[in-house]
Amino acid sequence: MNAPETVHVRIDEREAQVAKGTGLVETALSAGIEIPVFCYEPRLGAPIGACRMCLVEVEGMPKLQAACTLTAQDGMVVHTARTSQLAAEGQNSTLEFILVNHPLDCPVCDKGGECPLQDLTFRYGPGNTRMSMEKLTLEKPIPISPAISLDRERCILCYRCTRFSESVSEDGQLVAANRGAMSVITTFEDVPYTGAFTGNVTELCPVGALLPTQYRFEGRPWEITNVPTVCGLCPVGCNVHATVREGKVKRILSRNHPEVDEGWICDKGRFGFTHLRSADRIVDPIMRVHRHGFEPVSWDAALDEAERLLRAAKGRIVTVLSGSETVEQTYALAKLLRTGLDSHAAMLPEEVSNALDAYRLPLSAIGGADVVVVLGDVAIEQSAPVVDLWIKAARRKGAKVLYELNESDVRKAERAVLIWSGPGGRGGATVAAHAERLGVAGAFYVPETPNGRGIADAWAAASDEEAGATDSIGLLIVSGDEAAGNPNVRALAERAEAVIATSMFHGLAVGWADLVLPGTSYLERDGTYVNLEGRLQRLRRTASPPGRDELEWIAALAARFDVELSPSPQAVFAELSERIYGGLSFGEVGERAPLRSYEDAPVHVDVPPLPAPEDMGEGLKLVCYKPLFSGPAVERVAELQFQRPQPEVELSQADAKARNIVTGQTVRVGSNGTSVELRARVSKTLRAGVARVAQEHAGGLLGTVEVSA
Amino acid sequence: MPTLELLLGGTSERDLTRLSEYRAIGGYTAIEKARAMTPDALIVEMSTSNLRGRGGAGFPIGRKASLIDRKSGKPKYLVVNADESEPGAFKDRQVLAQAPHRLVEGCLIAAHAIECKDVFIYIRGEYLTEYEILAAAVEEARTAGLFGDVRVTVHRGAGAYICGEETALLDSLEGRRGQPRPRPPFPPVQGLYAAPTQINNVCTIATLPTIVNMGAAEFAKIGSPSSPGTAIFSISGNVVRPGNYELVLGTPMRELIYDHAGGIADGRELKAVVPGGSSVPALTPGQIDVPLDYDSLAALGTFFGAASLIVVDDRCCMVQLALRSTKFYMHESCGKCTPCREGTRWMVQILERIEAGDAELSELDLLDSVGVGILGRSLCALGDFAVYPVHSYLKHWRSEFEAHVHLGRCPFEGGSSIEGIVAPSDLRHDVGVTA
Repeated sequence: MNAPETVHVRIDEREAQVAKGTGLVETALSAGIEIPVFCYEPRLGAPIGACRMCLVEVEGMPKLQAACTLTAQDGMVVHTARTSQLAAEGQNSTLEFILVNHPLDCPVCDKGGECPLQDLTFRYGPGNTRMSMEKLTLEKPIPISPAISLDRERCILCYRCTRFSESVSEDGQLVAANRGAMSVITTFEDVPYTGAFTGNVTELCPVGALLPTQYRFEGRPWEITNVPTVCGLCPVGCNVHATVREGKVKRILSRNHPEVDEGWICDKGRFGFTHLRSADRIVDPIMRVHRHGFEPVSWDAALDEAERLLRAAKGRIVTVLSGSETVEQTYALAKLLRTGLDSHAAMLPEEVSNALDAYRLPLSAIGGADVVVVLGDVAIEQSAPVVDLWIKAARRKGAKVLYELNESDVRKAERAVLIWSGPGGRGGATVAAHAERLGVAGAFYVPETPNGRGIADAWAAASDEEAGATDSIGLLIVSGDEAAGNPNVRALAERAEAVIATSMFHGLAVGWADLVLPGTSYLERDGTYVNLEGRLQRLRRTASPPGRDELEWIAALAARFDVELSPSPQAVFAELSERIYGGLSFGEVGERAPLRSYEDAPVHVDVPPLPAPEDMGEGLKLVCYKPLFSGPAVERVAELQFQRPQPEVELSQADAKARNIVTGQTVRVGSNGTSVELRARVSKTLRAGVARVAQEHAGGLLGTVEVSA
Repeated sequence: MPTLELLLGGTSERDLTRLSEYRAIGGYTAIEKARAMTPDALIVEMSTSNLRGRGGAGFPIGRKASLIDRKSGKPKYLVVNADESEPGAFKDRQVLAQAPHRLVEGCLIAAHAIECKDVFIYIRGEYLTEYEILAAAVEEARTAGLFGDVRVTVHRGAGAYICGEETALLDSLEGRRGQPRPRPPFPPVQGLYAAPTQINNVCTIATLPTIVNMGAAEFAKIGSPSSPGTAIFSISGNVVRPGNYELVLGTPMRELIYDHAGGIADGRELKAVVPGGSSVPALTPGQIDVPLDYDSLAALGTFFGAASLIVVDDRCCMVQLALRSTKFYMHESCGKCTPCREGTRWMVQILERIEAGDAELSELDLLDSVGVGILGRSLCALGDFAVYPVHSYLKHWRSEFEAHVHLGRCPFEGGSSIEGIVAPSDLRHDVGVTA
């Protein structure tokens, strides 16, 4: 590849040297000159030149030009409003026009203080108005969904939101209606704006028009702190800011990591935080008392009881992890149980394989791929939503996106990537084997949990001992709500003599665990997670948990068994890092964490073969998946209820055609004498032979199903 | 008086909507000649003719065709702009209604020149009858096997003035909301479906058969050397015989108004002429000896535009006319760029105050200044179109504006008439100001 040609541009008497094709706004910025913009946002595709804030004078061009629509050309001479009277007049009139019908209600506007319109009005523009006539008034605010409200009077029609909807999330739901000054942003037929990524428009909006309903009148910029952390609700680990006011999380914002999320986050990550203040949050330990039932007890009493149960089990302890624990929490628990109590048996959240390590690339490599192969049977939008945006970005740039492994396409490609989402992935080993065979540099596996890899490594780091066979379970330790909600874990609990659970919410473990300790959320923990790329990322405590921090009470309990364990995540990380992260220090994990090198990873890892699949007979293979908008957190967020999955069964085009089924039709899905009625949806990306149903709508279905009209 | 009719020739004697009749006067012989030529030679012929675009901008068709990148590997498209929506313009309508085959033949010639297989004719939605006539003509020519491997699609617009702007037209044709695109990239480089696209007005394309038949060199001798050929002039307003008149370019405006259109009705005085459709600066009675061609009109600071003259007599209040015209552009502003969207509404608000006698003198300067804020700064020319006429009225008839302020009412005391000049205001949408 040739190095891009460098061009010289003169802006306001300064020299700028940039690669040919660089936008004029960026070119000016490289010379330290700001060209103010509203509509321009390179992540939204081609510039549209609508707001006219960036007007500049370009020598040789008769009229003022919108800088955002131009690219740097060699010898170009540009005058911004700093040095050109004409450009300054143009910019002044643009800003005056923008404000002609803007309500200027900054004192009561949530955007006030962090508003690009406010900032640019302060820095540029005439400073007063000549508009003495009646302003346009419109009905407001309008809920374009339960999560987002729209104030059309404040809207300056920059079309960022509609372009996001059209060119990034590709949902096409937000549009402009009417013409001229009466143009308004709307959804078609006023149906709620639905989808995985709708909340991003509230951040793109350069004024207070599109606001998250959760944050309306909740905080002013001088009262809040934006704490950098990562989202813990799926394996992507999008980088986020948690807006905190008086110790409470008020809002989640994106924090652009160009290799991970490009500044987009999904609605679960954005709006899901209110589960922290759910009414059924467990705040005190809950203990089974004299068979009378369950009562809140003090932490001292709870730890005494925990100690008693741990000792009573005599090493016959089985630990079940959820997949959302931090690396440090897992290591601490493992150290306590494995070195203090010689209890090595654990049910890790999922299978993890290091076979993938030789094929690791940043997620942004998907956006730059020429062939993307998506395998597995769970839609990426459900399992790792932001990955779906990278796939869409690749397709817009001309990449071929395949949902079946066409080997000749992959071999011909220069930058192919393989992605596995769904059962059969074997912790990444399946897709790694394809990558090895086809000579593909990049392979991705979507785990089921946010920190599956980190937890597996941390558990292993605490001891080299193997778990021995146990025929009885003295104590079952259930860590976290995902584990507590798992029916298999529940069955295991029936067999256990005693159960200790950590849980955030009533109703999951209370009633069957002998001791329930209040759990915490990823937003309340300090520590690290390993995302689906294998990237180690830093979680920060953004709000204090209502009870004690897990790491802190695990350390306190460890002391009772003479296990040396610090309650500080930094110290725990230092200890485990020596063993698994090459001695990397906590501080070095970084706010925009790099993808650590997996240079030493073996290209080939032997994976024990799976047992031959049982003959499933006739019918379609049922794939039950955890929908994006499901789980203990989402269930507790009012603003996300309208996003819950529809009672649907997805079928491939071939299977639908063979059964004369069309989208929207009610069909009967049955297996083993049980059946449910669901609406059919024909999927263009699902392979033949599979019927896909959200877990919560699958009823008692199992294995192979028959679908009939 | 004898006139040379290249576009409408034969229409008064024959029904040229019928293929047989058009063939009887030599129709579809030009396309045979054109196809015998190489595309390069045909583009040279178009350049030699010096035919300038009749849509308003007057860009030479030969140069436009030569900008098409025929080697890009992408498809090439020809788009005919039949979205005639400029107030005062109805020239394309007559070609569509009476000589559709001339347009179709022109399309085939232009398609051959730029090696294009797909022609789209984007016709104004309100032109239903014209659409039916054109669609029938296209079908008849197709059935007669005249198209070869070219496909011609007639697409109806949905009533937006902005879709006459070439890039908004392309967006609309692609199925999007009709809004202009930033340029560059220009359509010959990246137009319809991001492919090289030639866009021309109906009359421009319908002139091509004549050029091929008579030879470009001969054609270039007709009319003004810098603007050869004929144009259909739509003349409306306060004249005795409003209508379309096909005249050679360079004909004096006075001849069109007084000889062809019969002069001002009822012994009234001529007050103003808006020469290119309602969007251009107006001329005063002292300027009407101007030859009707691109350069002569430009020399007076106005535009040839859509060759559409609106004649205004002394009954008309210029503030009222400005208000009516600005309301039109406010209503038709697409809403994409700030100056046009916000500025046109603000201008209407100021003009309403002036017309009602509520304005102060300083608001005349404000009106002028708001116009300056739009002029040359909007994304497309619609913003300019809203301002040009108002600025010219303010310049030439300022005393009339001032009289509104001083009297605290319209000096015409309700007796002003814009009847016959522009259509009555029919703003059904609530635009926040009185319609």
